[in-house]
Amino acid sequence: MSTLLVYARVPMMAAVAQVTIPNTVSGAFDDPSDDPDDPNRRRRLAPDGNETTILVEGDTEALLRITKTADKSAAEPGDVVIYRLLVENLSSTNVASPVTVVDNLPRGLEYIENSVNTAPTPPNLTSFTVSGRQLNFQFDSLAAESIMQILYAVTLTPDSVRGSGINVATAVAPGFPSAQAEFRLTIRPGILSDCGTIIGRVFVDKNFDGEQQPGEAGVPNAVIYLDDGNRIITDPDGLFSMANVVSGNRVGVIDLSSLPGYTLAPNLYRLENNSQSRLARLEPGGLVRMNFAVTPTYGEGQN
Amino acid sequence: MKHMSKLVGTAALAMTLPLVAQGAMVRGAMAQEAMAQEIEVTIPYSVIVNSAADGEVRPDDALTLREAIEVVNGTLPVTELSVAERARVTPASSPVINFSLSGDTTIALAAPLPPIMAAGTLVDGTSQPGYGPVSTTDTMVTPVPTPVVALTVANGAEVPRGLAITADEVTVRGLSFYGFSTRHRSTQTTPPADIFISHLAPPIDAGLPDPPGWKTLRPDDESDAPVGVVVEDNWLGMSPSGQMPSEEQMSALGVFVFNGIDTVIQRNRIEFHEGSGIITGARALGMDVTENTMRTNGVAGIPDGIRLDGNIDGTEIYGNLMCGTDGSGVFMFKPEGSARIYNNDIRFNGRRFRRAAVYLMGSGHEVTENVIQHQPGPGVAIASYPRNEGNIIRDNSFSALDGLSVDLGFNDDTGIQDFQRTDGPNPPRNSPMRRRDTANGAVNAPEFDDYVFPMDGGKTVLSGVADPGATVDIYTVVDRTGYYGALNQYVATVAADDTGSFSVELDAPDGTLVSAIATDEMYGTSEPSAITAVGTLGDGPTSSAMPSCAIAQAPPPEPEPEPEQPPEQVILRIPRNIHFALDKSNITPEAAAIMDGIIAVLQEYPFITVELQGHTDPRASDAYNQALGERRALAARNYLLQQGIAAERMRIRSFGETQRVSSGSGRIDYARDRRTEFIFTDTRGLDIIYENLETDLQIEP
Repeated sequence: MSTLLVYARVPMMAAVAQVTIPNTVSGAFDDPSDDPDDPNRRRRLAPDGNETTILVEGDTEALLRITKTADKSAAEPGDVVIYRLLVENLSSTNVASPVTVVDNLPRGLEYIENSVNTAPTPPNLTSFTVSGRQLNFQFDSLAAESIMQILYAVTLTPDSVRGSGINVATAVAPGFPSAQAEFRLTIRPGILSDCGTIIGRVFVDKNFDGEQQPGEAGVPNAVIYLDDGNRIITDPDGLFSMANVVSGNRVGVIDLSSLPGYTLAPNLYRLENNSQSRLARLEPGGLVRMNFAVTPTYGEGQN
Repeated sequence: MKHMSKLVGTAALAMTLPLVAQGAMVRGAMAQEAMAQEIEVTIPYSVIVNSAADGEVRPDDALTLREAIEVVNGTLPVTELSVAERARVTPASSPVINFSLSGDTTIALAAPLPPIMAAGTLVDGTSQPGYGPVSTTDTMVTPVPTPVVALTVANGAEVPRGLAITADEVTVRGLSFYGFSTRHRSTQTTPPADIFISHLAPPIDAGLPDPPGWKTLRPDDESDAPVGVVVEDNWLGMSPSGQMPSEEQMSALGVFVFNGIDTVIQRNRIEFHEGSGIITGARALGMDVTENTMRTNGVAGIPDGIRLDGNIDGTEIYGNLMCGTDGSGVFMFKPEGSARIYNNDIRFNGRRFRRAAVYLMGSGHEVTENVIQHQPGPGVAIASYPRNEGNIIRDNSFSALDGLSVDLGFNDDTGIQDFQRTDGPNPPRNSPMRRRDTANGAVNAPEFDDYVFPMDGGKTVLSGVADPGATVDIYTVVDRTGYYGALNQYVATVAADDTGSFSVELDAPDGTLVSAIATDEMYGTSEPSAITAVGTLGDGPTSSAMPSCAIAQAPPPEPEPEPEQPPEQVILRIPRNIHFALDKSNITPEAAAIMDGIIAVLQEYPFITVELQGHTDPRASDAYNQALGERRALAARNYLLQQGIAAERMRIRSFGETQRVSSGSGRIDYARDRRTEFIFTDTRGLDIIYENLETDLQIEP
């Protein structure tokens, strides 16, 4: 993998240099007993105040900078992502020795064995250890006004969809303030989406068993509400389906006012299905049914 | 398909089955034989019911209907009857239940009766002494005497079904049924009805011990459906008084042909049901519905007069009156097979749902020679889905429609409206795909060559194009709206040639409006063409009629000089609206008092019609408020119905929260919003002052 690196030198300010700027305060006021319109009114001077100093940022001799990027900004479980860390020694004279770079991977990202690569050499990678999701790189030294890159690959496990996708890399060297960089990888659920699908039907039941047999016609334009507020309308055959439903316990309710002349049919065999709502336990990636049997009604509009 | 007997069906099935299955068939046949023997063991009795009481079956001095049914079914041995009761039972050639009640002739049931399980049973209400001459005050399609014996529900009891019939050739004649319904509860019930016909009536509630297995209950082709049940000369949904029953005494559904073959329903009065007057469930093969008087059905439930569902092959509906129904006169919901609907009088339906007078789904139906009037929707509509063709709609007379006379669903339109009234005029076929996604194979409506055809010596030659080979029927038109009008009077038929052009000579006066429909042998009947005029194009005639479901029995007397202009200037003060409590749709006594004022006016001026519009305050969701507004309008309408205002004079609509009367958000503003408004139409020049009464305002605490 070839890498083109463009780097412009920018004057840097150190974080903690101290420069003193003297600052004194003085004051004057008009005598309140005089006429304010009188041009010859008396003016009184206050004695000079004390001197104060303020802090400003100045140039420094010891400064590291770390930049983190990846070859893609979004990935799905199963993808390989190549991270690149750019470590710069910004000081004009100080050599950083040794340089330790620590990278904490987000949840569900796994380092791929032997994928680490550094350039240029020197500096030499003296030690590299992986402990859990933490990667530790140690280099012998980084010369003043020089850069180095670390490349390594990770793979996304299915667990990654539960993580934030954010990782933080830190570069530390003795005598230098530590530098940090953050990178956010957008993790899409991909084929391992934990959403499921709900299918179902609304039909005129003729043997009151809650299942659609031949001759039990589907009812078009019936409305079903889901617990998340989604409103679903059945097709001309009385069928409906809903993809990308968040898994978990889902409830669907048939809106009987969308079916004038019909009401929920009794179910002689499963008492649970005598309810206007259906509780379905939707597994991640799963499929559940919500069937509603209806029958002609009477006694509408009485409440 | 008509008069197909089950035995023939079984034989045909046996012949087509492979040999492997023959063994099972033979066993099945043997079982059937055994059953037949068992039935023969039951001696048919003629039983005379002489007690209107209902209670436990026990030997006492009078025979109740419950005991009579059990005797006829063979479940109550004659030996267990008392001597007095036994005197009422005589062996007969076929089972008969006769009535000879003295005093009270209303049988108030405390519990559901056992189903009638003996084939050939006749339940004969006409045997009651006093069953007499034809009533002169009640208009019926075919007048029959007023029943004397009434079956209803005892006070406080809940009886879902009047008679359940599970046997062949059972006849129910000359009875009145009303009050058969169930209360809504946490678990819904299976459908109640005045008369329920099936091979096995489903248990009314879920959770009862030992329900029949789902395969036993399943009304499929293997089930032993009753053949040839006859329901005739009954009054369903009302007592012999002919009055609308109170809300507690209304029946849910009339005749429920859940699973029946060659059922005959004739000469009944079927009125005041909360749901449909006649409804089919799984199978109603070869059903005959004829000469029934069906009014004011579907007022609080499934809204259609006759609802056809399941396999209805060979069903014929002819010579009936369907009027004042809340939905369609006849509505088909995804039926199998095809039906014929002819010679019916279908008017003033669609009181609550703006549906077509006749709504068809499926192929091969025939709708002919009907008179279809005053429908707030199309005359005949056909759904585009499921795919269909070959529906013939000819020789009907339409008037006063709000839509096309024939409306074919187009391009797979399957919205809510498309399953009630479809979608208006279709464009001409522009792709072979239209054949599949449009009703009746997208047969093109005829198109006249011109908007106006000149008269030439009293004759006019109309020309136009239709699908090649189609038969074009020409009608004169009434009630023009825009480019279309109702096909009113059949004039002529002409065939389109190979290129589709047709030409017909007409002998019609100047200004006659004409429209045409084309019928293709394979695909069926088209939508009507845009109108064309003879001589000069004008607005044409409009039809008007008193909102009435009455039947002109004798030729109507010479039309007396109608007071076109009101004789004296009458100034009426009518309240305009009633109010409701938060999230409620019940009628309070104060609101009832206001409506009594409206009722007085409506009774005095029988031509006034009223539209009831339900409104809500702006809180809660649009959809919820739409439904709440409908309940409010329905509650007000049903109160007026109870007070004797005819259903055909009222229509209801809901505006939900879309039309508030106030703009504020105080409790009083919201209370004013929660209302049903009465919009009076056809006032014929009466001077009416509408009053906004607020005596019934209900402010939330």
